[in-house]
Amino acid sequence: MKESKITKYYPLIPVCATYLALFIIGESVPGMWQLVAMLAFYCAIGQAFNIFLGMTGYVDFGYVAFMGVGAYGMALSVERLHMVEGIGMGVVFLGLLLAVVLATLLSLAVGAVALRLRGAYFAIATIGVNEGFRYLIEGAKLWGGSEGIVFYGQLAKALGSETASQVSTFWADVFVFLIAFMAACITIVYMRSKIGYALTALREDEDAAKVMGINVTKYKIIAFITSASVAGLIGAAGWALKLTNVFPPQVFEIHYTVECIIIVLLGGAGTLLGPPVGALVYGLAKYWLSVIIPGFQLFIFAPIILVVIVVFPEGIMGLVKKRWRGTGLGKFIE
Amino acid sequence: MFGIQLAGNLLQGLVLGAVYGMATMGLSLIFGVLKVVNVGHGAFMMVGAFVALWVFNGLGLSPIWAIPAAFVLGMALGFIFFHTSMKRLIKAPELASLLATFALGILLEETVKLIYGADFHGYNWIVGKVSMGITVMPMSKIYAFVGSILIALILYFWFTKTRGGTALTCVVEDSEGARVCGINVGRAYALSFSLGIGLTVASGVLLTMFIPVGISPYMGGVYTLKAFVIAVLGGLGSPYGAFFGGLIFGLLENGSYSLFALIPGLEPFAMTRFFSFLILLLILLIKPTGLLGTK
Repeated sequence: MKESKITKYYPLIPVCATYLALFIIGESVPGMWQLVAMLAFYCAIGQAFNIFLGMTGYVDFGYVAFMGVGAYGMALSVERLHMVEGIGMGVVFLGLLLAVVLATLLSLAVGAVALRLRGAYFAIATIGVNEGFRYLIEGAKLWGGSEGIVFYGQLAKALGSETASQVSTFWADVFVFLIAFMAACITIVYMRSKIGYALTALREDEDAAKVMGINVTKYKIIAFITSASVAGLIGAAGWALKLTNVFPPQVFEIHYTVECIIIVLLGGAGTLLGPPVGALVYGLAKYWLSVIIPGFQLFIFAPIILVVIVVFPEGIMGLVKKRWRGTGLGKFIE
Repeated sequence: MFGIQLAGNLLQGLVLGAVYGMATMGLSLIFGVLKVVNVGHGAFMMVGAFVALWVFNGLGLSPIWAIPAAFVLGMALGFIFFHTSMKRLIKAPELASLLATFALGILLEETVKLIYGADFHGYNWIVGKVSMGITVMPMSKIYAFVGSILIALILYFWFTKTRGGTALTCVVEDSEGARVCGINVGRAYALSFSLGIGLTVASGVLLTMFIPVGISPYMGGVYTLKAFVIAVLGGLGSPYGAFFGGLIFGLLENGSYSLFALIPGLEPFAMTRFFSFLILLLILLIKPTGLLGTK
């Protein structure tokens, strides 16, 4: 059956429904906004990371570095431009733009070296990116060095203190929702285009794909840069704008990369609905564990990761997709 | 004046480099045989550091006794982890084994945190100092240096002169060919994983003989990264290459520290970390088989 123009985008429906439901719950149930914002953040990073890891099968251990430079993009924009006359909300949008630019530049630099390498070598090349960038900022005393940037005052000056607090407590999270939605749209467009098919071929057998005449390097770079620039946006909105400060040891912490990997793997790498499902399961489990036994989340998560990898490496949606293939529900799942 | 300081720093770097090299042999051995990168490497070194702490503070013995204890514990951990998880992941995509070793690392960190808490610990082993003209070297560092070289030599002879060792070398060269020649490849995998983890945990003890403070459950991350740089310097998969890579890295790290300290406006300690990352990228870019690699 040939897919028509619209039906091939049906899998977006359950994803959007999930995001919308989350948003409505957060808006209407008092006291839920913080939890919902955290879940949206996990959805967004999972969805963004999936564009690269899920589609290519390459593990980028330095992924958090792109979120880190994104956070710096926002911080720098507010810190340096807040006194420009009449800039208002423009400072936030310029911050998002700068975040994308910085993340893209870093991903170009990293990709130029790392994407020439495969498998284990790729992972090794990327595992140091976040640490390397962190120590460059601290060592060369770049962008405030190890003191970081605290910019609530400047944000309040540009927007007025009432709007500034609105932006950091509410609009930052709304941006994260929008980014998560955008990442889902990018994922499905890629999946349904030449890029997706090329990357699937590459993931299954890179040498065979090359022999078939697929320019694997080109498609790897496209996926890498897309994934990185979305990460930059998430760093700018979900970290810098929300917390109104940036400190190098926090924004380059490798545990965020690991959280991305867990979410994608748990939900199902390379599926569209996987990251939101993984994010909800992981986020809620983490929240619940931190309430009942604070401080032991990682102690419990480590064996869970091992079990997932060994027993069902396709993740939740991978299993569901297999089970529902060909049924009426199948065309809503990707 | 600067020359003497630099020479002293380089000598310290050479001694530390031997420890670094020994600490990376396990990583390279595991990669060489199983083609698995142990991303939890530093966490295993951390376990060794705590063994040293326990032997010295708890039992009141010299940390030298902690080396065999840590080695045996490491072999046991390696054996258990191999048979519970790694065995099924050797033929799986990299994603699986990378994440599994990372998860093992987290599991170790959190387990040690349960026992010792997240604070920093240290011990104070006083065995005198030796003045070497350009620098003063505590005896404990010299013991660590000699210990590292001895372990590297034992491993070298084990690999080249014994049946088990040569069998492992064959598996590194060509696992299919080794299987055809009647080598039990499955057992070779189990042995090299246990041995690699054993060496890594033992190296944690040697590391604390060099730096006896700052022992904490999360101390390992830095050493994971350094070990990757060293392993790549020496050519991933070659344990002796890793040893020499360690020596080179120790010299580079301490030498660059002295140079960065000269430049005003820089934070030399952080810059050396950045520098080691640059070395990693440069080698991967120019010669991914390592400085000593031949392929």
